[in-house]
Amino acid sequence: MSLSNVLNNWSEFRKGAEEGGHHKYEHKWAMAINLDLCIGCNACSTACYAENNLAVVGKERFEKGQAMHWLRVERYWDQSEKEFPEQGASYLPMMCQQCNSATCEPVCPVAATYHTPDGLNAQVYNRCIGSRYCSNNCPFRVRYFNFYSYYESSWPEPLHMQLNPDLTVRDKGVMEKCTFCIQRIRTAKDKAKMEDRKVIDGEFQTACAQACPTSAIVFGDSMDENSQVSQLWKKHEVKMGLYKQNKTEPQKRGYRIFEELNVDPSIMYLERVREEA
Amino acid sequence: MMGWGGAGAALSGCDLPTTVTLEEGKEDVVSYLMPEEYVIPGVGVWYASTCTQCAAACGTHGRVREGRVLKMEGNPVSPLNKGKLCMMGQAGVQGHYHPDRITEPQIRKNGSLTRVSWDQAFATIQEKVGAAGEKVAWFTGSISGHQKVLLDNHLGALGSNNHFVHEVLNTAVWQAVSKDMLGDASPNLRIDKSDLVLSFGADFLGTWMSSPVHFATQYAKFRTKKERGMLVQIEPKMTLTGGSADWWLPSKPGSEGLIALALANELITTYSKDTTALSDETVALIKQNDVASVAKATGMSAEQIKKLAALAARKKNVLALAGAPVEGHTNGYAAVSAIMVLNVLLGSVGKTIESGGAFPFAQLQARSGNSGDLLRFTEAAKASKLDVVFFHGSNPVYSAPNSVGMEAALKNVGLKVAISQFNNETTAMADVILPESSYLEDWGTHVGSHQAEQNVIGMQQPLMEKLYENTKGLGDVLLALLKQAKQAEYGQYADYYAYLRHAFSSMPASYKSDPASDEHSWNNVLANGVINVETTDQPLSVAKVALSAPAISADDSQYPLHLVPSGRLGLWDGRHANLPWLQEAPDQISKVVWDSWAELHPNTAKKLGIKSGNIIKVQSKQGEVKLKAVLLKSTHPDVIAIPMGQGHTEYGRYATGLGVNPLKILATETESKTGELAMYATRVKVSKTNDDDVVVKMGSSDTQMGRKFVVTVPVAQVRRTEGV
Repeated sequence: MSLSNVLNNWSEFRKGAEEGGHHKYEHKWAMAINLDLCIGCNACSTACYAENNLAVVGKERFEKGQAMHWLRVERYWDQSEKEFPEQGASYLPMMCQQCNSATCEPVCPVAATYHTPDGLNAQVYNRCIGSRYCSNNCPFRVRYFNFYSYYESSWPEPLHMQLNPDLTVRDKGVMEKCTFCIQRIRTAKDKAKMEDRKVIDGEFQTACAQACPTSAIVFGDSMDENSQVSQLWKKHEVKMGLYKQNKTEPQKRGYRIFEELNVDPSIMYLERVREEA
Repeated sequence: MMGWGGAGAALSGCDLPTTVTLEEGKEDVVSYLMPEEYVIPGVGVWYASTCTQCAAACGTHGRVREGRVLKMEGNPVSPLNKGKLCMMGQAGVQGHYHPDRITEPQIRKNGSLTRVSWDQAFATIQEKVGAAGEKVAWFTGSISGHQKVLLDNHLGALGSNNHFVHEVLNTAVWQAVSKDMLGDASPNLRIDKSDLVLSFGADFLGTWMSSPVHFATQYAKFRTKKERGMLVQIEPKMTLTGGSADWWLPSKPGSEGLIALALANELITTYSKDTTALSDETVALIKQNDVASVAKATGMSAEQIKKLAALAARKKNVLALAGAPVEGHTNGYAAVSAIMVLNVLLGSVGKTIESGGAFPFAQLQARSGNSGDLLRFTEAAKASKLDVVFFHGSNPVYSAPNSVGMEAALKNVGLKVAISQFNNETTAMADVILPESSYLEDWGTHVGSHQAEQNVIGMQQPLMEKLYENTKGLGDVLLALLKQAKQAEYGQYADYYAYLRHAFSSMPASYKSDPASDEHSWNNVLANGVINVETTDQPLSVAKVALSAPAISADDSQYPLHLVPSGRLGLWDGRHANLPWLQEAPDQISKVVWDSWAELHPNTAKKLGIKSGNIIKVQSKQGEVKLKAVLLKSTHPDVIAIPMGQGHTEYGRYATGLGVNPLKILATETESKTGELAMYATRVKVSKTNDDDVVVKMGSSDTQMGRKFVVTVPVAQVRRTEGV
């Protein structure tokens, strides 16, 4: 293999789907989260607990940073110089950003975390050996490690009857994280295949997007040009595959967190808006 | 989405041995050889029902797989929540599968509980009820639909009118003002049509008016419409709604009414707003409260009040709201009235406050809870006017302040019957405990106290077989009690389902989707989840009431701080403290989990020498609590805020012994006009102890440390780029 070949492949790999990059995706699931609509109400995160068999760890383990909230709603105070937070709180729903150039993937010694043809950053639970390198390397801090066998305490009978049979309960020593509700994706794809059609935009949603009372979270396939999520990315001139956006209107609200790290996240946030009196 | 609602009926109504539920037929692995016709192994089916986690009556879809309900979603056809569901609705399944549920009827004899059969329990009740007659009472939370009809009929049959309806988080004062000034206690509040929402402590995205999802869907429109709506929140402690404000202003508790008067003053004098809709007395009162004098009395700067007035004058459609921090003072009625005057002055009535019309089935409409009934109940019990009391959907022993003397009052009640899913502080004092089915196992109809433009009756149907054979829904308990009193009339109904089915049959023909088949129409209603109700026109009319002055109560040098017992979306008034998902979900403002805490402004804390994590003692004249301090700038410096919901002494494995209950140390001052408990009127003093505790919360940094996580941009920029 010549050096030029390596370099060509490398730069192809670093390009996104729009620029004809390396990824030959069937679908490219993505999100747009409008922070101006997020009210910080926790509906999304609780829906995630319900859908994804997330363990409740309790106060002591929460204190140690072992909570398993795949989707957490951060609250920041801006205007720290003021006596009161006059513009309210800044809420941020934070979950796995399903990076196209995910920093968690290359460090896994056993390839337990890898990229799917749907553009998802997947975690193979029964391949994971618990090195936690991935979590260490994730700039978003959205990977959660099972320090214990939570099923022993988290679902006393008959609470366990609520567990979603479409996905597993993870055991001690395994890393886990947001999957964009891959079980729902799977079901929708299977159904579309059986009916010999494409997946229709909006026929399913992730649990968080479905619950969100203000519809701040929009989920869909960015390969489908007409999907709501594609339209939003387009409207705000945010493209995948870039570490710096070239917007014709730089003040459009779309942005990706830690884009400058060239991790190429699949979630676009829209800036929060405030009106001065 | 499922199309055949009758499946729900078959699911619950069948008395066949269960071959569906895996858990029941563990040794019976052949169950799939004879699957019931609506079960496809591995395939989830959604059934429509109605959420009862709060009084909003949001429509739900429950995902059922192999006979188990797994996940709740919003019902898209419900005009209330439009397919969305809040965290409490999501956690409903945890209440249903909760390991601490009561499974058998029990009777307390000589202090200890004995398991009995339903027949024995009913016999015990009948023995006392027959003799008690008009001294029978029901003590419930907000109630609506056919459960309310049966409850009224039960009391009616006994010649009693003792129905006490208690909710800690209520809007009783607002509703009283709305009724007196606009002629309608619950008009449609159109946040979605407003350009400016001026909210005085109304946590409409959280606990206010008990319809968080409905207002959140309105809020989404409010923020995305052509003229982006602006939210100004004025309150003593930042609520969930305050967190989303464009402009958040701290207010000294009890001062909000005066601030509203000063705004009215400014609107009349500077912006020449028309006063013809106001009475002369009201105008005179407004004239007395100019900006300068109010600024002096309330501590809010004259500049801020003028800025607020300018904003209100400039925006086209304004909606002024008042919530618990305003209602919960001795001057609550006067203060809410002053805020309602702003709506009148700004022409909001008819624009952002619309008539909801008259609901044609008055008997089904919600009877919304208040806190005055808690006091009236205690008085009646103390005076030995109640012999038998039925408790449902409310936990008065937990919620009543110590000074009310609830426990002593209950000793005067001959027979206390608690219908409950869980043991709690109230069942601990009950003589008969009846195990209630969960809302996912039960039938019912519900009418939210706040309706969307399209009024609906929410249909509740069981989503699965009962987990415990010996539980009964409220409707079935009521029906059994009615059969004791009026066998001739109610004997025809085998169960509550039969009663509801009959009630539907007797609805007007316009409510039947298939005029040829009542059965088919019923199935459609169940599949749909809601019955759309056509209201009749009933326009709002502004009454010229004489406003009274919302005087601020005098400071107390002994007890310098105001106690704010704040409600949380999640634990609510404490009823959801036993759901682990909601305990583990961080509080939206402080981010604390699994505990109680006291919120103090850093400046106040500094004066008192308190640091974050210090255990402090909060003392009122009625008692004291000890808990850790959390310093937050989102609190008025004269305030100490303690969220309610924790401090259970008896509420199962997840809630018992966690945190403190601020309701216990409240003073029993009452709102002077309505007799409501003035929940925000308690004064406290705070002192430091020598103990510390770790504040267990989500996230380590309160600021973004210069990183670009949440970016805030001015509205002018967005108007330019997006044309809003």
